[in-house]
Amino acid sequence: MSAHASTSAAANEARGRRSAEDVEYSKTHFRVCRFITETGVKLGMRSVPMATACVLYHRFFQSASLQIYEPYLVAMSAIHLAGKVEEQHLRTRDIINVCHRYFHPDSEPLELNGKFWELRDSIVQCELLILRQLNFQVTFEHPHKYLLHYLLSVRSLLNRHAWSRTPIAETALAVLKDSYHGSVCVRHRPQHLALTALYLALQTYGVQLPRGELEWWQVVCADITKAQIETIMSELLQLYDMEAKCT
Amino acid sequence: MDRDLLRQSVSFHGENLLSLLKCEQNENPDFKHLASDLYKSLNQRDKDEQSPVLEQFIARKADLLFAPSWKISEPADEWQEESGEAFAVMPPLEQFMEVSFEERRELFYRDVERGDMVIGRINSVRDFGLFVTLLCTAGGLKRDIEDLEIKALCPKREVPSTGNHDDPLSYYQIGDLIRAGVKDIDRYHEKLTLSLHSSSVSPHMEKVKLGVLNKEDLPLHYTRGEIVSSDSNETFEKLLDDSLGLSNPLNVDFLLGKLGISDTQTPSLMRGLQSKRFKEEDFATTIRKKQSVSWALKCVKTGVGHFKSGRHVDAMNEYNKALEIDTNNVEALVARGALYATKGSLVKAIEDFELALENCPTHRNAKKYLCQTLVERGGQVEEEEKLVTAESLYKRALVLDDTFKEAAEVLEKLQIRIQKSLKLKELEAAKEQEKAKTAETSAEKLRKILKEEKRMKKKRKRSTSSSTSSDSSSSSSSDSSPSTSRKKSKKRKHKRRRSSRSSKKHKRRVSSCSDKTAEDDRDWFPAPANTSASYINQNQSISKLMSESEPVWGAESRGRFEEDLERGSDQVKPAGFRSGVNGEPLKVNERVGNRRDSSSSTQSEYSHKSERHSEFSGRNPSRSERAGNDGGKTNSANTKKDLPLNLLDIFSQIAEFQKDKKQKK
Repeated sequence: MSAHASTSAAANEARGRRSAEDVEYSKTHFRVCRFITETGVKLGMRSVPMATACVLYHRFFQSASLQIYEPYLVAMSAIHLAGKVEEQHLRTRDIINVCHRYFHPDSEPLELNGKFWELRDSIVQCELLILRQLNFQVTFEHPHKYLLHYLLSVRSLLNRHAWSRTPIAETALAVLKDSYHGSVCVRHRPQHLALTALYLALQTYGVQLPRGELEWWQVVCADITKAQIETIMSELLQLYDMEAKCT
Repeated sequence: MDRDLLRQSVSFHGENLLSLLKCEQNENPDFKHLASDLYKSLNQRDKDEQSPVLEQFIARKADLLFAPSWKISEPADEWQEESGEAFAVMPPLEQFMEVSFEERRELFYRDVERGDMVIGRINSVRDFGLFVTLLCTAGGLKRDIEDLEIKALCPKREVPSTGNHDDPLSYYQIGDLIRAGVKDIDRYHEKLTLSLHSSSVSPHMEKVKLGVLNKEDLPLHYTRGEIVSSDSNETFEKLLDDSLGLSNPLNVDFLLGKLGISDTQTPSLMRGLQSKRFKEEDFATTIRKKQSVSWALKCVKTGVGHFKSGRHVDAMNEYNKALEIDTNNVEALVARGALYATKGSLVKAIEDFELALENCPTHRNAKKYLCQTLVERGGQVEEEEKLVTAESLYKRALVLDDTFKEAAEVLEKLQIRIQKSLKLKELEAAKEQEKAKTAETSAEKLRKILKEEKRMKKKRKRSTSSSTSSDSSSSSSSDSSPSTSRKKSKKRKHKRRRSSRSSKKHKRRVSSCSDKTAEDDRDWFPAPANTSASYINQNQSISKLMSESEPVWGAESRGRFEEDLERGSDQVKPAGFRSGVNGEPLKVNERVGNRRDSSSSTQSEYSHKSERHSEFSGRNPSRSERAGNDGGKTNSANTKKDLPLNLLDIFSQIAEFQKDKKQKK
């Protein structure tokens, strides 16, 4: 009896430790993804390449361990690789410059000397590592195009003046962009993510859409249920809570 | 904060939201104004539908979500034909949702506005207008309205006339598909008035053609909607996934552009990612620029080292490298300019210094070196006798640095030189002017004669039939007609070949003259020139001209024609004195034709004649400019053209001129 209890206690403890670790890890991931997004803005990256960079990062650490690999280096290489995959080529020099300044604010730009070239080499090496870790599957379907098409369809349902004064598109895109801070982006189908972002935006402003036999979201994604939408929505909203804890 | 939006949100979510808002947005001054309003608009919401997490989120982010600056999208106004290639064009969502008949009808009448476009089928044609049953929307709205059987009227006055004098309504038949604009709406009575005038649609859709359509012109969202309604397996998802537009890699960019949102500055709701938190110095381009500047400076330093040790080639390489890294780097430009100056390529040096000063107007070395180089260059240029250029160079040097004594001295010397040369030129010019005087006056008189001739031709034109002349005049006046263009091109080629210094002004004058004379020409010879009929006209006109212009012609034009006719006179003489007057116009034309290497078709004859006229009128101003300059071939060719105009006249004058010439010689 006591042995059973002790093993279950040990198991619980282990679970507790693991979940504590997970929390720590998710905080780290949040910070690194924030780093990726900020760098992306400073580099003038478009939404889709930025999304690819975050997804590369998340997928890498689904199978790799944070103990072994330096997350910020992986992030920088993910940005570089994403630029290549999504046809918005970024110069390594720019990535290094921006990241260096992120870590050493208000510093002078790096000299183009030996240290610089070493940094460049490490980014390139890490890029190869990411490719191998992901089995060279680096093209992803992102929710953005689905979201934009859904936005157009929903726009046609609304009165044009109501549409023009309600920032539905901005909110939905903002929520989508922020969703890349966590792994929710890799755990759900892109159509579902897009749908949830739009649903969230419509609910925020209390927009009433016409009702038919089916709700608009049932039409757009035949296999989704209200419960699923709610789940994804809560995951998305949790990320905003994390911001307060991590930064 | 947007009051209406807040109110809408609060009324949707209920009391909870309001209390949360008060809690979170306590500090926000904007919120305090509106808080009182919000109490009034509260609805009771079902307990199970409430979402506390969402409400918490809204409350926390309310200052962002409801800020007026949050709305950044500016939809593109241009109406684009949706081809389904840039993005997937989907049928109206209403159709998939199976919204009820009543609701769709109500929503349609609520949302349709003046200026929208609709497509419908004509179901009856009355004498006061067309009755149309709407099929689908085509711009401004995207709704599923086919089964609503909405009827609209397009009154007769809104149907544009077709150009014939028939009733415009007769053009339309029952069953035709037409695209029309919504002119007026009576929402209460649910009546629509349509129009087929393009002014009835919104400005951004004005280019779209209204009127009868083919089946192929129906909008894509309607045709795809038909596919969906016929095949019950087609879901929205399936249709979207099968669309070509979904696989367009650039559809995200395109659609963001359509919605009016910039892709590199997408909004975010995270506090740390708000745009005001980003500093310009942290952006990649800024850092890169700073880095390039310092890198380039390093190269310039090594380059200067090379320069001082005499290794000019290495120095130049370093400077060029620096400029590649950072174009328009001031230090590199100045250093390179100095190197050029030392080597002797002063022009390149000046370019570099000027560029450097553009970027940094206060660079001391750049100014100093530039002044020195300018003075040196001025010296070089002075030796080449380009005094004005030299003057400008010295002046520029003085402008830059007015304490530069050497420049002032050299400038003074130069100015004295210039004055001397100017005086010399004046003397020369005075001599030339005297020569020019005699020629000018006769040129003016000739112009008068020509004007009179033109007036007479115009009078004749009015008396002849109107239709042919109007056609020919319209054709000749339009530049697109090949013969006039050929005429002009021939004429212009001629001018370029012959006149070395013809100014643009007189070319324009010539072309305007040629337009008129071409017109006259066409009218003058309605029949081909090969027949005797044309000759008769010509003869008539010549005799008229002779009678009218003889007194003017007589004594005045001697001096000018002397030179012209002299050369041509030998060849002209035999032609003139031939008994068969018939042959003359042809002969001269042939000769003229040979000269021009063109065929003896009637068109070319017309063209020659008109060219003659035009060149004749055009030549006079040019002659006055080229006073005293024998144009050689020009004049003799001119003679040939002049002759048929006043044939008998000239022939009588030839003898006189020859006598005069002999006298002058």
